[in-house]
This record gives sequence, structure tokens and C-alpha cells, in this order.
Amino acid sequence: MQSNMPVGTIEVDALRAAPEFMSGKEMLLGNAYRPWPARITSMRDLTSHEKLVEMRFIDERVREAFVHEPGQFLELSLFGVGEAPISITSSPTKQGFVELCIRRAGTVTSALHSMRAGDIVGIRGPFGRGFPVDKFRGNDVLIVAGGLGIAPVRSLINYIHDNRSDFGKVTIVYGSRTPADIMFRDQFEMWRHRADFELYLTVDHPDDQWDGEVGVVTEPMKRLDISPENTFGVVCGPPVMYKFVVQVMREKNIDYDHIYLDFERHMKCGMGKCGHCQIGHQYCCIDGPVFNYWEAKNIQGSM
Amino acid sequence: MGAFSLITDAEARVPRVVVVGLASCFGCQLQITNAEEHLMEILGQIDVRYWQLVTSEDGVEDFDVAIIEGAVTTRESEETCKFLRAHAAHVMAIGACACTGGVTGMASDYLGARTDLVYDGEAPDACGEMIEPRPVSAVIDVDSEVRCCPIDPYDFVAALQRALYGSNRLPEPRTMCADCKRNETECFFEQGVLCLGLVTQAACGARCVNLGRPCNGCAGMSSAANLEAARLSCETYGVPVESFDKALEMFNQVKLTDSETL
Amino acid sequence: MLYRVMDKRELPALVRAFMESYEVVAPVKRGQGYVFDVIESPDDIEIGYTQTASSPKKYLMPPTETLMKFDARMNLVQDYVHEVTPRVIFGVHTCDINAMNRLDTALIGGKYVDPYYKAHRDATLVVGISCTPNDKCFCHLWGADEAQFGYDLFLHDIGDKYLVSMSNVEATNILEAACEISEATDEDRIAFRQATRTRQSAFNKDIPDVQDVAMLMDVFHSDPFWEELGGRCLSCSACASVCPTCFCFDIRDVLAPDGKTGERQRTWDACTSPNFAAVAGGYNFRPTGRERVRHRMYHKLNGFMVNHDRMLCVGCGRCVAACKTGINPIEVLRFFKRKGADHAK
Repeated sequence: MQSNMPVGTIEVDALRAAPEFMSGKEMLLGNAYRPWPARITSMRDLTSHEKLVEMRFIDERVREAFVHEPGQFLELSLFGVGEAPISITSSPTKQGFVELCIRRAGTVTSALHSMRAGDIVGIRGPFGRGFPVDKFRGNDVLIVAGGLGIAPVRSLINYIHDNRSDFGKVTIVYGSRTPADIMFRDQFEMWRHRADFELYLTVDHPDDQWDGEVGVVTEPMKRLDISPENTFGVVCGPPVMYKFVVQVMREKNIDYDHIYLDFERHMKCGMGKCGHCQIGHQYCCIDGPVFNYWEAKNIQGSM
Repeated sequence: MGAFSLITDAEARVPRVVVVGLASCFGCQLQITNAEEHLMEILGQIDVRYWQLVTSEDGVEDFDVAIIEGAVTTRESEETCKFLRAHAAHVMAIGACACTGGVTGMASDYLGARTDLVYDGEAPDACGEMIEPRPVSAVIDVDSEVRCCPIDPYDFVAALQRALYGSNRLPEPRTMCADCKRNETECFFEQGVLCLGLVTQAACGARCVNLGRPCNGCAGMSSAANLEAARLSCETYGVPVESFDKALEMFNQVKLTDSETL
Repeated sequence: MLYRVMDKRELPALVRAFMESYEVVAPVKRGQGYVFDVIESPDDIEIGYTQTASSPKKYLMPPTETLMKFDARMNLVQDYVHEVTPRVIFGVHTCDINAMNRLDTALIGGKYVDPYYKAHRDATLVVGISCTPNDKCFCHLWGADEAQFGYDLFLHDIGDKYLVSMSNVEATNILEAACEISEATDEDRIAFRQATRTRQSAFNKDIPDVQDVAMLMDVFHSDPFWEELGGRCLSCSACASVCPTCFCFDIRDVLAPDGKTGERQRTWDACTSPNFAAVAGGYNFRPTGRERVRHRMYHKLNGFMVNHDRMLCVGCGRCVAACKTGINPIEVLRFFKRKGADHAK
């Protein structure tokens, strides 16, 4: 190889060297593989194996440019351990901070569990197509979540809460394994008194104090009185749940493209390149993770 | 899976490591020292509480990571494994003997007859109570493995770091041929020559093939190995299926016996 | 497209001219076959090669590539300069040029630009060469037997001369400075037409030409055929390694021996690798060879087409040679042909 060759380069600078003229958007999109540092501002236990982690980007430009839709996710980096795709659980209306609901599932999330407020993590994103809140506006929303599926829909729930007059009746059906596994219960219970809000909590395995429902989420769903022409359905939970919940929503005459499903796959790059999250002809990371049921029916291997 | 991280634990302390050799040639332990360029850096990250090869202290009970070399060939070594499992947060098997039974595993068929042949009917007490050789994973749960005979020192370093700091890398049971394609080496099957890469766990980057020799399967069979399909390949390329089965015995005897795939 | 004619004897001069300012990679002989490799002299080039075992995609997306360096203790990125070598890939067949165009679509197109791939692509000149198909080639079935764009020069063999398509100023300047080139004569034009005819008729007629392949992939998605085809997958991913359009990858962190710093790398991965679709916690969305092989074929012969109007297979035939159990798109076409037989069941 000759030494006089011109050499092309890509530069990845440490934060302190990020040029001043770069906008937050350029920082996030110029090299979207590059995570930006964020500080953990608070961390609290939701259950024995799930924590709510609040984070704040260190660079103000990134903080302002990082605007997400409910249902979008980000890639969380712990250098040396690797990255993990995590749904954003805070509402876009909560500015300057990003909240994640972290279940101890893999090595990245386990390592994060042992971190503390003040520690630094890397974040890139936000990625994916979230819930179409503009379409939901003016309509009723029926949200069905199972287990950790509550994490991305909490972003939607909080968004609706912060823009309450824009939406009709909101119904939440949330199934957990045990009463101890229910997340954000206090927050949801606070709304119970409202006429335009219904909450149904179910558990598979009750304890002595449990006076709510026992069983699968489809049971309370079946009793619901909904007006199909102006209701949007939202489903997020473990893979087995989708088929049954969608079936009930269809029985309630909610249209194919008014039912929104949030899929879980291993989004490694987040930008439709690496292929790990492919479902049929779609990439969960850019075409989803939120698909309506009509789209999902058209994807080989989606359900 | 080892959902734990030693370094990031709140009361971070230097992880305590023991290295134990069972039935083996000790070559893999020796290989660790062959990472000499980085040995001091590595030792700086851990507290070696016991290492058969270099320490004489015995009876250590406080440790976080147990590294086991060699196959389980006696009741006594079986107990050793259980002891290590009970005390360690992370157990790592290194080398073919520990991972698949390896060469030691060849004795797993007709053990009694072979022992009689070697010792003329009376095995000395020093041998211990002999059992059919088996990999460590046949006796206890193993958190991570470093494959091959012998191990690559840098593979070991990388595996140790994954144990210490955690890693999101899932075990990938892919077999080897993709490595040869990346290396752009010629496939032995095209010349009618047997190569065990078809069923062997990808781990070494096809090192032997890069040196001009077919794979002899020292990394052990992949959990995704498709023996039936591999035999079909042998037939297609004019390689006797019997020679394929025979070649597998060197490093995969135990697994074959266990899963009764033959 | 602008075109001129050059004498074949001028080829070494052209290569040498490129070598002055670029690293030149070209097909060279290795063992019984051919590979793309850096050349030391124009004499190294086997311009009449049939097919290389692996594709030139390795120059646009190396098997392992560092994305960034980091300080693991601080959890921060470190300064890192990723250097890209200006390179000429010389002697590329139309299948591989079409493959690069598809990689461009996947990695540069859309909302996100892959800056690493783009840097390699921008620093690369592609010189194409016409070819004669071997028995494994089926590029013509996917329209990949012609290169409409994606090259800088293309040399069409017309006997003693090349008809050269020129699509890039820089490459044309080098060509013009190094070689005698001339306007084509009517004789040259006829020779070109003859060459394309000869090539067209040289394809293996035993490889079935089937209509509506993308739709057939949907229609026969649940056929037992996939069990039969995927059931013999060795899970080696050789297919994806040799494939000029497979671009899937893994991202992994590799620590330095001292455990303090490290690199984030990307490395080739494949949907045929057993754990490719597994998520944290262990659930695998494509747990068997049946699902994995079907998914790979589906993405090649339907998924990419639905999104980008082009098959992701370019019919280069490399996987036909690489797969030791005969899993390849030709087998899929033969299956569709069987389903189209008069008394098919």
C-alpha cells in the first residue's frame, strides 16, 4: 500500500470534543451508532425485579433534540457490557428527562440494576414508530397490557393524561402475574374516581390481600361496553397474549386498523440495518415496534 | 445464565478466582500463562485464590469465579465440581476435556474393559473411583465455556472479562463453515476430504483450516449440529460417512454416547 | 451512458494508473478458485475468472469493523478516527455491482445513513467487467445480469477490445490519461451486440424461470417444503458469508485485556445463525432451521422486493457452491416449478 494515499475518515469524538456548531439533531443522527452520555437522576424499585430509572442527557443540545413519541424505544449502552433496546416509559410531555422501566432480564439490564443515581450511561435514539396519538385524538382508547408491556403504554397513558381533554374515554386493562408485580399502581389508582377513566387490574396468582380480579385480561375485556366506531385498541404484553386480546377486540367490532400492537424483538441497531428484529418483510425497529393489526396480519411470522 | 456482575456490585471488591484442573494434560492452564504479554494486566483485575498450577495452598472456600480445566473422570472430581458450584457465582469450563469430555472422553465407551486392559484388572487407588469421563456440564451447571484443545489464551481473557464485567453477547451455536468463507479458504469437501467444521461449534475462526488442515472438531459439536444433514453432505461430496462418524469420536465421544445420535 | 473503446492490451496500463493513487483489489487465483484480493501488479489479475468464492462486499462492510472506542469505567466514548482506504475494486461482475446497489439501498437509503458503510462506498471506485455465466449463475432471472448504475467504469468484452461505459469523471480522467481510447465503430457496436447475445444464451437452462416469485413466497409460506429444506440446514451461515447482499450484523463490545477500555465492533451475522432472533431472556422467534431458512429466502425473494422493488438475491450462485447441503434459491425455484407441474399436488 502506498503511503501517499488520501485517506477518508469517520471521526467519533469524545463528548468534550463535540464541536460547538453541531446541532442536537446532527449529534443524534450524524452517526446514529454513537451513544450520548446521560446521567441517572433517580432510580426506584417498582417490583422486586423491575426498576424505574430516570435519566438526563448531559449535553443540552442532545437533551433538547431527543424528542420521542409514546411507544418509541432507545438503545441503552453500558460500555463493555453492550447495548439493550428499552421502551421509553415517560411521556413526551415530561421534558428534559427520560424514564425507563428496567426489568432484570439480560446482562445489560442486570448491570444497570446495580448502578446508582449519578452514574453515567449511554443513550442513542429515539427509534421506531410509536403509537399514532394524532389518530387517537378525539376517540376512546382501550389499552390492554400484560406484565412489562405496561412500560411503553405508560408513555401513552401519561401523554393522554397530560392532554386529557383531547381524548375520549380511556380504559386500561392490565394483567400481572401476582399483585406484587403490578407496576405504577398508585398512579393508575389515582384516576379511578374519574368518570372518563376505567381501570381493570387482573392477576394470575392472587395473594391474601388481593380483592381484584383473578385470571386473564380477556375476561374483563369481554364485559366492556365500547363503541367500536370511535375506539382505538392498544395491546402490549408477552407474545402469547396478542392473539387472544385481538380476538376479543375484533369481537367488539374494533376495525383491523384501529387495533395497535407493540411488538418485542431484539432491536440491535435500531435503524433498520442489522436485521435482528426483522419480522417477515418488516423491521420491528423502524417499521414498528407499533403496528396496527392490519399491518401485522400482512407480516409473515408476526403473531 | 450468569445474570450477575461482580465489578459493578455495590460493595465492589476484586473478584476472587480459583483455577482447578481435573483429568487433562494441563495444557489449557499452561495456555493461560501464554497470554504473558497481558498476564499482569489480567492478574491485576482478579485475586487468584488458588491455582493448581502455581499455588500450593489448599482448602480455599471463598471465591467468586471457578475455572475448571479437564474432564470429570472420578467420583472425587465430581464432588470437586459440586463444591466449586456451591461456592462460586460463576463457573467457567475451559478446554475440550472440560467442555465436551475431549480426548479423555474417548474412554467413556467400555471403560471397565479399557481399565482392565491398562492396569491388568487392578487400577491403583491413586486413580480414584473411576467413572465414565464426562464434561463438567454433565455434573454441574456451567456459566461459560472456552472451547478448543488447547484453548486460545485470548479467548480465555475475553471469557474471563465477560464473567467479571458481564456481556450482552448470547451464546451463538453456529457451526464453523461461515468462518472459512470469511477467511476465503477452500472447502475440503470440494476435494473430497473430510472436515468436521460442518458440525463443530464456531469458536476458533477456523484456525486449523487456515493452516491447511481440516477441522478435527476440538471445539466440540455445536448444540445446533445437524448430524443427519452433515452425513448427507459427506455422501454428496464422496466422503465416507463412517469416516465422519469415526472422526467425531476424538472430541465428541461423550456427547454422542449421551444423545444416542449414532 | 457515455462509452468508448479501448484495446485489451491497454488493460495493464489502466490498472497501473489506478494503483498510483488507490489500493487496487481484483480477482486473483487462490487454490482451485478465485478471490478478490489486493494486487501487487496487473499480472496478478485473473480477468476471465468465473466466480469468486466470496463477494467484494468485504471491502464495503468488513467482516469485523470498529465503530468506536470507549472507556468502560467512565462509560464514555473516546476519541476515535476510523480510517478508510481509497480503493478500486477492479473486475466486478454485474451480479456484484447490482449487489452493491442493493447494499446502498439498505445501508445508505432510508432515514438513517450508515456512516461507516458510506465512507467505504464513497472511497471506492468500481470497475466492472462483463462475464460468461457458469452453471450456477442465475442473475438473469432477477435482472441482475446488467449493471445500469453503481459502477464507475464497465468493461464490456468485445473480442480484442473493451467497450467501456464511463459513469464517473475521476475514473474517466484516469482512463483517458493512461490509455488510448477511441470512438466506437459500427463493427464494435455489432461485436457488442453479438457478445450480449452469446452471454444471454449461455445461462443454465435447467434453472427454472418462475413468474411471481415474491407472491409464491407468501402463497407457499406454510408448505412442508420449508421443513424439508430448512431441516437440512447445518446452521453454519456460510450462505450469508458468501452472499454479496447479506448485510446483517451483530454489535458487540470487546474489552482490552486490562478491562478498562475497549471497542464497540460490528461483525457479520446472519439470520441463519440459531440465536439470531433471540431476545434477552432467551425467547427465540425463529427456533428451528425451517423458520430460519424460510426467513432468509423470504427476505431475499419477497421482503426486500416489497419494500424496494428489487430482489435481494442477485443470482451470483455463490451460495449454491457454499452450502454443503444444497440449500439455495435454485431449490426454491425448483419447488415452485414442481408446484406448477400439470399434476402437481
